[in-house]
Amino acid sequence: MIDEGRALFLQIAESVENAIVEGTLAEEAQAPSTNELAAFHRINPATAAKGIAMLVDKGVLYKRRGIGMFVAPGARQVLLGERRAAFADRYVDPLLAEARKLGLAADDLADLVRDRASAWEAASVNEGMTR
Amino acid sequence: MTTSPDLVVQVDHLTKRYRETLAVDDVSFSIEKDKIYGLLGRNGAGKTTVMSILTAQNFATSGDVRVFGEQPYENARVLGRMCFVRESQKYPDDATPTHAFAMARLFFPRWDQKLADRLIEDFQLPPKKRIKKLSRGQLSAVGVIIGLASRAEITFFDEPYLGLDAVARQIFYDRLLEDYTLHPRTVILSSHLIDEVANLIEKVIVIDRGRIIMDDDTDAVRDRAASIVGDTAIVEAFVAGREVIHRESLGRVSSVTVLGALSPEDRRRLAAAGLEVGPVSLQQLIVRTTQHSPSDTAITTEGAVR
Amino acid sequence: MNRTLSVIRMQFVNRQTYVWIPLIILAGSFVLSLLIFALIPTDAPKYGGAAQAPLWYLLAVGIQAMTMSFPFSQAMSVTRREFYVGALLTAGIAALVLVAVYVLGGFVEQLTGGWGMNGWYFYLPWIWEAGPLGAGLFYFVMAVLLFIIGFWSATIYKRFGGVGLTIVLVGIGLALVGLLWLVGRMDAWGFVWEWLMSAGAMGLTAWAAVVAVLLAGIAFLTLRRTVP
Repeated sequence: MIDEGRALFLQIAESVENAIVEGTLAEEAQAPSTNELAAFHRINPATAAKGIAMLVDKGVLYKRRGIGMFVAPGARQVLLGERRAAFADRYVDPLLAEARKLGLAADDLADLVRDRASAWEAASVNEGMTR
Repeated sequence: MTTSPDLVVQVDHLTKRYRETLAVDDVSFSIEKDKIYGLLGRNGAGKTTVMSILTAQNFATSGDVRVFGEQPYENARVLGRMCFVRESQKYPDDATPTHAFAMARLFFPRWDQKLADRLIEDFQLPPKKRIKKLSRGQLSAVGVIIGLASRAEITFFDEPYLGLDAVARQIFYDRLLEDYTLHPRTVILSSHLIDEVANLIEKVIVIDRGRIIMDDDTDAVRDRAASIVGDTAIVEAFVAGREVIHRESLGRVSSVTVLGALSPEDRRRLAAAGLEVGPVSLQQLIVRTTQHSPSDTAITTEGAVR
Repeated sequence: MNRTLSVIRMQFVNRQTYVWIPLIILAGSFVLSLLIFALIPTDAPKYGGAAQAPLWYLLAVGIQAMTMSFPFSQAMSVTRREFYVGALLTAGIAALVLVAVYVLGGFVEQLTGGWGMNGWYFYLPWIWEAGPLGAGLFYFVMAVLLFIIGFWSATIYKRFGGVGLTIVLVGIGLALVGLLWLVGRMDAWGFVWEWLMSAGAMGLTAWAAVVAVLLAGIAFLTLRRTVP
């Protein structure tokens, strides 16, 4: 789960951000403590603290004195915005590179995306019905 | 907000010479309070020598060493706040682990017997069996338990894992982190199992052939190198002008490790060129910078015609 | 001082070295001597030299103090001076205990007339000529001297290696031979013999004390730069 070649504190921050984006960590909910994160990932607590500090600086988390760190209101929207902006760099560029290797043109790629999207759509509709 | 760090150890131009060999060659570094340091390097690089000199068990040929601001030699005030159980530690004849821990309790004012008892169980150490009859792993466990339970303000662990199997090693790392979280202290851990300790250590100091070649925050070092894989010609074109620390080829494919962060622009260029970028783990980075095989080009800047 | 006391306590954590083994050696050599006395069919006084055994054991303890306790004391973050003083004090305590046993034993031996066999293990007249205190002092100094010899030689070995120790011992041997030769040259054997006789056990004790102090001093100076 931990990537060898990237700064650990960044990965910790990301894992908390992921939880916020996915909704498992709601706004105004208490974020895991530094010690909890360190113990869970088996890392140095100072590193975990650095990750949390970064999120506080960023405004994603805020501190309630004597209690702990909480998810700031609006954090999810901010993160979604951030990730959408980075989406092209992180996902589209590699996709294009791989497509080029395989000889897929941009149109072929677009068709593939649309087909898959509708397949997913159908699957989740079914699920919605049976629930 | 930056506060000036509390330095508990300061080493200035430390040199240790044995006859013709320089075991430690003009080494300078400082250790900040309550952080976990990794003192990494190959066997015989000088790690144990440095730690021995810091604890006044060995003597410097030249240079200055200060612990808590004072010189450690014959300094009970300073020495009593440190604990250094070396890798091949000798114990009194016929002593059992129970004896050893009873003796340790006499000298380490913060000794925690409950912690020691718990660790004895964790490591499945037979407490009444004579130390000279213990297996290599059990012997290591004795040293590890003394180090952990001592709660010494500066605790050294000298290659503590020798003879410990993977499960025992993980127990050690877990207990170390647990105890450090509840009772912070300065820890200096020497190891050549770099990947195993990479997530524990906040700072990394690498010693190679008696010299310090790296002294940094672990996270800063992690981002420092990247591995670029692809068609040899294309890779070479990309790495021209960059610091290369390692290269491998198989047929027309090369994997080259470069130092220096890659900008987003770089990454776009790489993706466009069909090259793959991979992370370089701490262990790989250190191994590649300390390899000295004849075919290895070591640290060299590209540009020269080969 | 506290930590030096801890060094002493450390030596007694494992009671074998300083308590059980010397007692066993003492008891064993004592019983053996009695048995031999009982077997010798004569009423003349019988003197055994077996009381030396525990004293020579202290030589071995002195060596062990350096080879095993010293490296461990370094791991315990003890300074060399604290260890040195603690080790010597421990030897002193062990010697005192032995002395107590020997002096008391000597009294008992006198009271029982040599265990009813005219066999003497503790009470050797030439040692007791200055009284029980003199005998106690003699045994004490001898015990401590033997410990220091062991400790000193192990320190030289640890610092300078086997070669170093050999050179030192050979040097001492040569010096002694030189001394003997000198005595012979000056035809002073008679003088030397008379002097030895008149000095007696107390004289020997005094010289032993001098040697002990000398070796102890050398051991400390050597220890100060010894790596565990």
